[in-house]
Amino acid sequence: MTFRMDRRQFLMGTSALMALGAAGIGPAWAQAANMRIIFWGGQSRADRTYGVTDLFDEATGSRIDGEFLAWNDYWPKLATQTAGGNAPDIIQMDYRFIVEYAKRNAIAPLDEFVGGALQLDGFDEDQLEGGKVDGQLFGISLGANTVATLVNTVAFEEAGIEPPTSDWTYDDIMEKGQAFAEANIRNGMKMMTDSSGTEPMLDNWLRQKGLQLYTAEGQLGFGAEEMTEWFTIWHNLREAGVIVSPDNQALDTGPLETTGLVTGRAALMPSNSNQLVGYQALVPDKLDMIGYPRISAGSGGGHYRKPSMFFSIAQSSPNKEAAAQFLNFFISDPEAAKILGVERGIPCLPETREVVAPTLDEANQIALNFVANLGDLLGPLPPPPPAAAGEIDISLLRTLSQEVAFGARTPEDAGPYFVNEATAILARAS
Amino acid sequence: MTVQNVATAPQAGVPKTSVWRRIWQQDGPGYLFLLPWFIGFFGLTLGPMISSLYLSFTHFDLLTAPRWAGVDNYVRMFTNDPKFAASMRVTMFFVIFSVPLKLAFALGVAMLLNRGMKGLPLYRALFYLPSLLGASVAIAILWRQIFAGDGLVNKFLSIFGIVGPSWISNPNYSLWTLIVLAIWQFGSPMIIFLAGLRQIPQDMYEAASLDGASKWRQFWKITLPLLTPVVFFNAIIQTIEAFKSFTPAFIISGGTGNPINSTLFYTLYLYQEAFGFFRMGYASALAWVLLALVAVFTAFSFLTSKYWVHYDD
Repeated sequence: MTFRMDRRQFLMGTSALMALGAAGIGPAWAQAANMRIIFWGGQSRADRTYGVTDLFDEATGSRIDGEFLAWNDYWPKLATQTAGGNAPDIIQMDYRFIVEYAKRNAIAPLDEFVGGALQLDGFDEDQLEGGKVDGQLFGISLGANTVATLVNTVAFEEAGIEPPTSDWTYDDIMEKGQAFAEANIRNGMKMMTDSSGTEPMLDNWLRQKGLQLYTAEGQLGFGAEEMTEWFTIWHNLREAGVIVSPDNQALDTGPLETTGLVTGRAALMPSNSNQLVGYQALVPDKLDMIGYPRISAGSGGGHYRKPSMFFSIAQSSPNKEAAAQFLNFFISDPEAAKILGVERGIPCLPETREVVAPTLDEANQIALNFVANLGDLLGPLPPPPPAAAGEIDISLLRTLSQEVAFGARTPEDAGPYFVNEATAILARAS
Repeated sequence: MTVQNVATAPQAGVPKTSVWRRIWQQDGPGYLFLLPWFIGFFGLTLGPMISSLYLSFTHFDLLTAPRWAGVDNYVRMFTNDPKFAASMRVTMFFVIFSVPLKLAFALGVAMLLNRGMKGLPLYRALFYLPSLLGASVAIAILWRQIFAGDGLVNKFLSIFGIVGPSWISNPNYSLWTLIVLAIWQFGSPMIIFLAGLRQIPQDMYEAASLDGASKWRQFWKITLPLLTPVVFFNAIIQTIEAFKSFTPAFIISGGTGNPINSTLFYTLYLYQEAFGFFRMGYASALAWVLLALVAVFTAFSFLTSKYWVHYDD
C-alpha cells in the first residue's frame, strides 16, 4: 500500500490521520527505502506515474508515496516543503527552475550515480546537457519536446485554404490570414491567435535572427529595436484583422480550455509538441502540428529539443541511492516505458523509444514524428533562463503585449520600455 | 454569567488567599473556556503576524534563509514599483465605487422588503443567497461566462442590435464587472439594514405624514438619520471586505490581474509576489501596508462618525 494524494483526498486523509492519532495508532512512516515523489500534471500523468511506482515497489520491495498538483500550485508547495527541510526524495523539476534549486543546494548532484545506479549509455546528449548546472548533473530529462504550432485542419478545409506546412513564414500569416478572414467561417474565426505575448514564440523569432532571449550570463540577449519590430509585426497583423482581437485574446488566461484554439477563435496556435495530445482531447476537429513560422523562406534554427521536465533528487533525501535506482527504472524499464508513453515528451534512451513507438495512438505518433524530424528547424539548446525569466514573461511581456493590442502603447514605445523594465527586473533578482 | 457569580461568591471569610489564587478563582474558569481561542490566536494568528512583520524587513525566497534588508522593501514599494501603484489604484477604485453602490442597493432592497409584504422570509433568503455564493470559485467562473464576448449579456444586447465588447477581458470594463459582482452580493448588509429599519418607531412616520412630509422627505429626515449607526457599521465592514477582496479577480483573470493589470487587486499583487515570484519579504511588507491602510481608513471613519452618525440616546 502506498500513500498518494490530491487535494480532495488530502482533506479526507487529514481527518483520517487525526482519527488515527486519537486512537493512538500512528502510521508506520519510517521504513527502509521509503520514498516520496512529487510532480505537477493532470490525472492522466498521475495514473501513468503511479503505474510505474507500483512496478518499482513490487520489484524492489520499497515504497513510494506520491503527490501531484497543478503547475501553479506546485511551485509554492515545493518551495514551502524545501524551506521546511521536508522536500520529497524525488522531485519533478523544470528547465526554468533547475538552476535556482541546484545553486541553493536544494537538489543533489547525480554524477556519483552515473554508471552505477543510473545507466545513461546512449542517452540523448542534448537532453543530458540540459540537466546540467555548472557542469554537474542535477536532473534526468524525462522526455524531449519542442515548440510547435497546432493546426485545426478541419477549419482550414472549411475556409478552402491549404493549411500551412513547416515551411511557412511570418509573411504567410498575413497572406493566408487575409484569405482566411475573407472566407469568414464559424462566426468570424481568425487564422491565428494573437501570439505577441507568447514568450517561446518571441524566443524562436530571435533565435532565427541569430539572437537569443537571454545570454548565458543571464542578461537580455537583444535590444529595443528587435522588440519594437516584434510588436510591429503583430500590430500590423492585428490591424489587418488576421489575428484574434485583443479582448477575445485576453480571455486566454492560461488553462487549455480558455485558449483560442479550444474556444474556436483561431485555427493556428503556438504550443508545445507534447501538448497536442491534451488539446486533441478538447477539440473535436482533427489537429495537426507544424513548426513555428520562419522569419523568411529557408531560415531555420529557431527550434530546439528541450527537456520537457526532469526528475531531480532532494539534497535532504536520506535515500539518494534508492532514488537514483528509481530514476533509472523510470527511464529504462520496458514495462514502465509502455505505461508512460510519450506523455512527458519523447523518451531519451533509444531502447525506450523503440519499445514505446509501436504502442502510440495517432496524436502521440504525430508528436513523436515531429520532434524526431525537425530538420533545419533545429538549433542548439540555449542556456537555462535566469531566475527572473518567469517574472519578465508573466508580469512584463504579457501585459505589454496587451497594452499594445488595446492601443495603450505604440510598438515604438513598447520596445524600449520592455528592455528597460526587463533589465531592471534582472538586476533586482541578481 | 454563572462563572462570574460563582467567582464573586463571598470569600471575605477566607484569610491569606494569595493574589494568584484569588485571580484564578475569579477568572480562571473563564480563561479556561477561552483557551481554544487563545491557542488559535497566539499560535495561528499572532505568531505568524509577528514573523511576517520580521520578514517584511528581509529578503526571503523560501529556499535560503531570510537576509536582513532594513527598510528596503518599503522604500522600493513607495519609490520604485509601478505595479504597486497600479494595484493600489485598482483597489482604491474598487473600494470607492463598490462599497457605496453596494450599500445603496442593499438599503433600497431592504426598504422594499420592509413594507410588510407576504413571504418576507422567503425573499430575504433568496436575496441573501448571492452573498453566500459570491466569493466562491464557481460564481467567478459563471461571471466569466456571463460577461465574455459571446456571453449572456451580449446575447441579450444583440436583441437590440448592440454589439457589446468582451466585458471581462476589456481593460475599460473588466474592473466594472467585478464591481457589479460585488454589488450583487448585497445580502449581508441588506439583512442588517432590514433589522435597523424595524427599529425605527412607526409613530415618527405617522407624525411626519400628518405634518405633510413627503415620502422622500421622510426618508432623508427620519429613515436615514436614524439608520446612520447601521450605515456606519455596514460601511466599515464592507470597506474592509472590499480591501481584502481576492477570489473573483484571481479566478476571472486567471491569477494575472490582466487585461493590462486592470483587475490587479492589491491582494492579487501580494499573492503574485509571494507565490509567483517567491519574494516573501516583499509580500510581507505589502501585507503590512495593507493592514495600515485599512486601519487608517477605519480610524478615519470612526473620527468622522461623530459628525454624521446619530446614536439613539
